[in-house]
Formats: sequence, structure tokens, C-alpha cells
Amino acid sequence: MFLTLLQRELLANLIAFRFSVAVIICLLLVVTNTIVLIDDYKSRLASYNTAAQKHWEEAKNAETYSQLTVSVDRPPNPLSIFNQGLDRRLGNSVDIHHSHVPALWDTASHSADNPFLSLFSSIDLLFIFQVIFSLMALLFAYDAIAGEREGGTLRLMLTTPVQRGSILFAKYISAMLCLIVPLIMSLLLSLILYAFSQAIVLSGDDWVRIGGILLTSIVYLSAFYLIGLLLSTLTQRTATALMLSMLLWGTLVLIYPSASIFAVNRLVKADSKLEAAYEEIQQIWEEFDRVRTDLKNQDPFKGENMYGSVGIGSGTNADSTTLRYYSYESINWNRIDDEKSGPQIPHVKTYYKSLESQRIRAAEKTWLVRQEALKQIYVRKASVAQTVMRLSPAAMYDMATEAWAGTDFHGIEDFLQAARQYRQTLIHYLEDKDTFASRQWFASDKGAVNLDDLPQFTYRRTDALTGAKRAMPDVAALLLINVVLFLTTLLIFIKQEV
Amino acid sequence: MFWHIVKRELYDNMNSLRFAVTTMLLLALMVVNAVGYFGEYNARLTEYRRKVSESLDEMEGNADRLFSLVLNGPGKLRKKPSALTFCADGGEAFLSEYAEGRKGGWSYGWNRDGKGYRVEGIWYLNYPQANPSLWNIMPADTNVSWASIIALVLSFVAILFTFDAISGERERGTLQLMLSNSVSRDAILLGKFVAAFLSIAIPFLIAALINLFLLYTAGGVPLGAHEWARLGILLLITLFYIVIFVALGLLVSSRITQSSISLMVLLLIWATWVVLTPSTLGSIATGLKPAQTSAEFDQHRSKQRDNLKKEYLSDNPFEFEGPTRSYPPTKATQRWAEYVKREAELSERLNKEHLRDQINQIKFARSLARISPASIVGYAVESLAGTGFSRHLQFLDQVNRFAPQFRAFTNETDAADAESPHLFGVKEGMSDKPVRFEAIPKFQDRVSLSSDFNTAAVDVLLLILFGVVLFASAYLSFLRANILH
Repeated sequence: MFLTLLQRELLANLIAFRFSVAVIICLLLVVTNTIVLIDDYKSRLASYNTAAQKHWEEAKNAETYSQLTVSVDRPPNPLSIFNQGLDRRLGNSVDIHHSHVPALWDTASHSADNPFLSLFSSIDLLFIFQVIFSLMALLFAYDAIAGEREGGTLRLMLTTPVQRGSILFAKYISAMLCLIVPLIMSLLLSLILYAFSQAIVLSGDDWVRIGGILLTSIVYLSAFYLIGLLLSTLTQRTATALMLSMLLWGTLVLIYPSASIFAVNRLVKADSKLEAAYEEIQQIWEEFDRVRTDLKNQDPFKGENMYGSVGIGSGTNADSTTLRYYSYESINWNRIDDEKSGPQIPHVKTYYKSLESQRIRAAEKTWLVRQEALKQIYVRKASVAQTVMRLSPAAMYDMATEAWAGTDFHGIEDFLQAARQYRQTLIHYLEDKDTFASRQWFASDKGAVNLDDLPQFTYRRTDALTGAKRAMPDVAALLLINVVLFLTTLLIFIKQEV
Repeated sequence: MFWHIVKRELYDNMNSLRFAVTTMLLLALMVVNAVGYFGEYNARLTEYRRKVSESLDEMEGNADRLFSLVLNGPGKLRKKPSALTFCADGGEAFLSEYAEGRKGGWSYGWNRDGKGYRVEGIWYLNYPQANPSLWNIMPADTNVSWASIIALVLSFVAILFTFDAISGERERGTLQLMLSNSVSRDAILLGKFVAAFLSIAIPFLIAALINLFLLYTAGGVPLGAHEWARLGILLLITLFYIVIFVALGLLVSSRITQSSISLMVLLLIWATWVVLTPSTLGSIATGLKPAQTSAEFDQHRSKQRDNLKKEYLSDNPFEFEGPTRSYPPTKATQRWAEYVKREAELSERLNKEHLRDQINQIKFARSLARISPASIVGYAVESLAGTGFSRHLQFLDQVNRFAPQFRAFTNETDAADAESPHLFGVKEGMSDKPVRFEAIPKFQDRVSLSSDFNTAAVDVLLLILFGVVLFASAYLSFLRANILH
């Protein structure tokens, strides 16, 4: 009996006008946008490759160890085509130096194309799914019960020994099958375009991620279908059901997420901890300055300069809005008069040996303060916005797929984590060779340093499992919505007069 | 008879659930918008004034000598904030709020025969970029402004009010009934049109007035004659926009027999035309007309600069003489002055070309995006609110007109000094006297309603065109429509 019902529903759905229209529109949009997005990805990849190579060469140009700064770059995420998230927008290049622990707020952008382009909001595949598929799901659902009631077929059906539950279930399954077909078709089409473009190489992990995105999309679709089904059960007329579902759709998918971000952006003020933290960081570096003066005062060659050509780039890099504060010295004496300043050199060596380890310590202390403060100021606001947005399933879907694709905040943080790790590697490299206490820390008079064995920065996106873990809360919440909606609809439908 | 139909339809609409929901939605959004912009304008204006006076102080410091004025230039030239930002944000965050006339940024210094020489690059115009989103981890959003409320919500609501206007009556059989009386088809269509139009326009106007009231009384937005004129035109544009979608709804509704299918078709048209097309076309168009990337530009610039350097300084600059103050001026002084001047000219020209390239790319994309009325209304509202891209172009235009004025002033001041050797560009070739600060031309960003309206005019005409075409098709299609179910 159930199978007969299923067959009937399936056929009815498949020959419906809405099905063909929805499929055509969806495929059209997906194809045009995938082509644009792949093109965009390619240009970003090209600019990443140029930048990475350029930065690596620049790093190797250092003549003394103290001049060594490596800029590392974040490659574009191939899955950003599905959900762009923050991947395209946030800074993707950061300087690594032992005197500073980098955070997102120190990044710059290597792909500096026309800045006015940001005036156009960019679209990703997820946005199309989010808008079109939720609309489709509601359009499939609004007349499921109300239509049968209006047509009188519901009564007819219930005179046969069919359980009400199985009617509902058959409707659900058949509609979901009809909705999943265009979803999978468009996904396949974009993957085929991927394969043709050849610029994008997907790893095994990426396939798992895409699978996760597909799964989340199905759960999202089902949530909207069930919303429509509930409304259809509750209302007497199909027109009312349709109207209500459309209003709900407009609000949940388009209006509510934007309005809540706008409200949080405008109304949640960053707290004033910024100044306190900045002062604390300043104190750390003042303390460091005291240590430096002490070190200089201990030197028997007080106040005397070394003979030679001086090239010192030193100073403080400070910015109170991002809590950046550190002092650096990049020294390059390219000519030293050994006769006059020979006796000084051992002192200079011990000076830098203790100074630079103090500098690293100060940088680490700064990081402890800064990390917390930045979280309070910038990250908190974003997570408040996300929490408020989660009232809409569309926002949950967006966040879950962002996590799957690795283009969410955590995904970007992973890169910075790797950058901080690389800073440690760099410090180990410098310490292992005892460079702080070496002549080559400050002088290149005997030739530039040999940086052939400089460790290179590598960054791999985290594995799919981590992505799954990050996506799980939202996927679980969507599933819960599904279950609650289905049970509510079932209860109402069972108790209802036909 | 016509007014009778209008009245009946209007009552029907106002008693319906959709009217109540629409009104609530519009009110809620308008209040959110107003509250979001409380005090915003004042804060921005104060900031603007502070920064302008900062730049002026800096300029006053440079006025002690003509050459330091020529070296440092007019400083930052700032864009004045608009009082109507709440109407359309216009992506202001992505548009730089100033242009800059600053030092050339290069210098040669050397010692020769116990004398120190120093030659520095003089000022030229720079157009700094704004890139605020680099650190912004907030999820991407559409700003809740009048522009987005009009473009998205009003068009959506218009569809909800009209999808069953004709197909619904046909389904119920009332259309046949009506036409059997002595009611002309024109009257029915026009009546329905006017009623749907009014039942959208009235809630919107009420919500807009509440929004303005809140902003005026508590939000610190000054609403003078100028602002009211802008808002009036803006509301008129909104009405044209509503017409488009009401006409579209009637068109589809008269062609399709079932009202549920009519709504479905309308929604799919709406989702693609209003929501997805503007951004898709924007990205496609920018792909079609690529602009020079920054890296390419840098390369191009350094090549041009090297060429110029070769022309003037091919022999090591430290080998030949530096500029000196002597009458008549030495050849070296002349050569240095010419080089400095041409270098500044070249840099400014390259900057302008790069900017023009970028602007053309956006202009092209914007004209393509005008296929969607949502983009058109967005651009029109933006121009009238005095924000966004077209406003930015006006600002850049003023900057580009100001730069020669400033240069002419420094030239004239130098020419007026009889003791100066009149070699513009190097310290030794120019007047050594202080400049009267009051006499220096100062940049003032001016906003004029007429030019804003001129930029919006094309968009307004396009909107009217869309409206007329859709209304005419709805009319024709209804005249020929089958009234039987």
C-alpha cells in the first residue's frame, strides 16, 4: 500500500510543471555561476603562486639573520566555489618574524585586484541552493495536504485502509526524491566543470567534504519541505498555505539573516577592554626597553659606536586598533673596520644573544594578552551575530557548509595557527645555529648569510574529520528541526478532521 | 465603476493576512534601519571635520615656505559624509573616503665638495584604496537600508499582492460574473492595478515616515529642504519600482490559469531577476572586461619611471652637480627641476590611468547589471542618497579639478616673487618666502542635488521604461485573456 502511495506521489511530482521549471532554472544558474567562480578561483590561485614565490625570494634576500622576515601566503580554498565564506575576503598574507606572533589582524592581501569589485556581492553555489532549493521545497509542500483536502481526495484516500502516517511519509519521501534529483544534478554538473577546468585538484578529503555538503543540503531541503508540510496541514486552503510559506521563506532566507547581522553590527559595541589591553602590551615592551638599556649599560664599551657602514632598521610597529605592538631591529653592517671595532664584536654578540631571547619572550607575553583581547573585541561580535542568525535554518545551512568547506573562521584560523607554528620553526632554526650570538646576526661584511637550509612554510587544510566536527552542531540542529517538524506535523495530521 | 473596483479590491487587500504581515515586516525593517543609524551621521560628521582640520593644520605648517607646500602638496582631500546614508549604504566601506596629494616619496641626497645636496619628489595625486573587509570576520550580509528594503521586500510583496489578482478571480468564476455586468476589461485591470499599488505604497510610506521621524527626532539626522527634495524624488522612484512588479504580477496572473502556478512562476522570476542576477551579472561582466592588476600596474609604473630616469639621470646623478641657487640658474638646476616636475606628472598620470581603468570595469559591470530592476533602483537610490559609486566618481572629479587649481596657485605665487629663479620643482629654483595660508586654495567637497539627480536620471528613465513595457503587456494580455476557467 505504502509503495502504491509513493508511486502515485512520485509520478504526480515528476510530471508537475514546477519540477521542470525548478530543474531548468537551477541548472542554468549553477552552470553560469560555476564558470564564473572557477575563473575567479584560477586568478586567485595564480596571484597566490606569484606572491608565494616572490615572498620566498624576498626572504632569501636577507643579508644578515636579523633581517630575516618571511611572508607566508594562504592558498585559495578550492571548495570556496561551494561556499566562499571568508576565504576570498580576509587577508591572505602575513609576515613572520621572531619579534611578533601573527594574528588575523596582521594580515594583508596579496591578490589586490580592483578594490571597487567588492561593490558587487559575490555569489557562490551555496547561495543558489539556499535560495532556490528552499523555495522549491516549499512549492512542493504547500498543497501536499491542503490540496488533497480541497480536492476531496484526502477523504477518499482515508476510506481505504491506509494509515495516516504512511500518507504523510509517502508524500515526504517522494517529494524529497524529486528535490534531491536536481540537487545532485547541479552538483554533478559543477563537478564536471571542475574536472574540465583542470586548475582545481581535489584530494580524497575534499570528496568527503563535498559529500558532507551534499548531506547538509539534503537535511536543509528536508527542513524546508517539512515547514511547508506543517503549514499545509494547518491551513484549510492551498492559497493560504502558499502565501504563508512564501512570507516565511522571504523572512527566513533573505531578510532575517541580514537584518540580524545588521542589528548586531550596529548595536553590539566593542567593549573598551581594547585600551586596557593596549596599555598592558605597551608595558611589556617598556619592560623590554629597560632590559635593553640595562644590557647596554653593562657593556664596557659604553656609548661607543662600531666603525663601519651602518644599516639599522629598527623601531616599533604599533597599531592600537588591532593591538599590534612590537619593536624590531634589523641590522646590517656591511663594512666593519676590524682594527678599530674588533674588540667590540664579542660584546655586541652577547648583547644580541640575550636581547633577542628577551624579545621572543616579550612577543610571547604580548600574544597571551593580545589573543584574549582580540577575541573579546572582534570574534565575540561575530559569534553573537552567528548565534542570533541561527534562528533561521538558512543561516545554519550556510554555517554548516562553510565549516565543511573550511572557509569559516576556524578554517582561516588554521592557516594562522600554521603561520604561528612556522614562526616557532623559524626560531628553532635561528636558535639551533646559535645565530643570535653570531657575527652574521648583524654584519654582512664577510658576505651575506647562507639561507639555503631555511625551512619552508607549508600549509595544508585540516582533514575532513575536523571539518565534520565543526559542521556537526549546525547539522545536528537542522536534523533536530526536521524531527520536531515531522512529529508535529504527524500529530496534527492524525488528530485532524478531514 | 472604476473607483468602485478600486475600493472593493483595496478593502479586500487590507483585510487580508498578507497586508497585515507586509505592514508589520516593513515597519519592523524600517525601525531596525532607523535604530541602526542613530547618531551615525553626527559621529561621521564630527570625524570628518576633525580630520579636515587636521589636514588644514598640516597645510598651515607647510605654508612657511612655498617649496614645502609644493613638496608636501595639499594633503588628504576628504569626502564629505552624506546625511542620507541610512537610505543606501552604497558599499561606502569599500570606497576610500579620501584622495591624497602627498610627497613623491623618493629622494636623492649626497655630499660633494663639502656641500650637501638633496632632491626630493614633489607632490602628486594618489587614490588610496579602501579594503576594510580584510579583517572583518562578520558573516557577509546585505545592509538593512532603504535601498535593500525597496529592492527586495517591496518587489516580493508586490508579487504576493498580484499573483492571484486575475487567476484567482478566474478560478472562483467571479471574473466571468464581473464581465457579464457592464464593466470593461480596462476598468478591471486598472482597478486591480491601482488597488495593489496603493496597498503596497501606503504601508511603505507609513513605515518610511516613521523611520524618518525616528531618525529626525532621536537619530540626529538633519532633514532640511535639500534632504526632503532628495527623499521626495527617492519616494517617487520607489513608486515607479512598485509599478514594475505589480505590472509583472498582473501579466503573469492573466496568462496563467491557476493562481498557485502563477505564484510559482512569479517567485522563480523574482528569485532569479531580483536576487541572483545582479551579483551574477556583476561578476560575469568584471570577468569580461579585466582591469590591470596591481602587480601589473606596479611593473608598468616602475618601467615608465626607469625610462624617465634614464632620460635625465642616465649618468650617475651624484657625478653631476646638484641644484644651486644662482642667477641665471645653472644647467644642473634646470635639469633637476625638469626631472622632478616630469616625474610627478608621470606618476599622477599613471595613477589616473589606473583608476580610470578600474572605474571603467565597474561602470561596465554596472551597466550590465541594470538588466535587473533591483540593481537599477539600488543605483538610483544610492545616487540620491549621496552615497555609493556614482557619488564617489563625483568626489574624484572634484579632486581632479582641485589638483590643477592648487598647482596653479603655487605657480602663480612663485611667479609673483621677483627674487625667485622660477624653476618649479626644486627648492633652489623657487621662491623662498612664506605663503599666506588664507590664500591657499582649500579643497571642499561639494554635494549638489542637480548632479546627483542627473546621474540618477538614466536609472529613473530605465525604471519607467520597464514599468511601461510590463504594464502595456499586462494590459494587452488581459484584453486577450480567456476568462473561463
